[in-house]
Amino acid sequence: MLVLSRKVGEVVTIGNSIEITVISYDRGVVRLGINAPKSIAVHRKEIYDKIAETNKESSNVEFDMLKDLLKNTAISSLGSDKNKLEHLAIHNTKKD
Amino acid sequence: MEKQEVSKLKIKTLHFGEIEIENDKIFHFPDGLLGFENFNNYVLINHEETAPLRWLISIDDPTIGFPLINPWMVDIKYNPGKSINLETEAAFVVITLGNKERVMTANMKAPLVLGVETREGRQIVMSSDKYSTKQPVIHTSSEEV
Repeated sequence: MLVLSRKVGEVVTIGNSIEITVISYDRGVVRLGINAPKSIAVHRKEIYDKIAETNKESSNVEFDMLKDLLKNTAISSLGSDKNKLEHLAIHNTKKD
Repeated sequence: MEKQEVSKLKIKTLHFGEIEIENDKIFHFPDGLLGFENFNNYVLINHEETAPLRWLISIDDPTIGFPLINPWMVDIKYNPGKSINLETEAAFVVITLGNKERVMTANMKAPLVLGVETREGRQIVMSSDKYSTKQPVIHTSSEEV
């Protein structure tokens, strides 16, 4: 790992398009300002990990249990209209 | 009138057998989903047995699929702010099952956004602490306590 020392207000660049500025340091907390192209996702690592873990759990969901639960959960469709393009995103497919 | 030929693709899914997809129905996720960065192409399908959930199935590995729900069916006041343009995009949230309690939960913190015209998708992370990665999907109507 590359380790650099920086003072408040100093900057690290990564490639041509990413800049990280040390904004402040106070009682063990460093505030960073990050300039990066929109196409580069910037996350707090622990939040990234939590979401990645949730995605993994979702992909391993127990199908029969899910079907069972759906039978016993009355999901309200009241708000569904807000997602007005939902039906356009879905591919209604025929099972062979 | 000339009819444009749409090429089709067959994939073998884990839960729904073999399904046929028109190529123009595929969503490309340039960054994948978080934790699934190398799986970039998906199709969103509907399956009667699990309605109103939808399934985002990976084309790259069709044994990978994510059950999704319309976030406004979980929380009618869901407000992802400017991160989603509902005029051109549809939003979905990922479903998981609770370990202890038998309850469905939805990841309201990291919705999937699908561009209906662009056929591009992405998973965004909302900076607000208002939304949980495991919001219970429960119906609070008068007949239930």
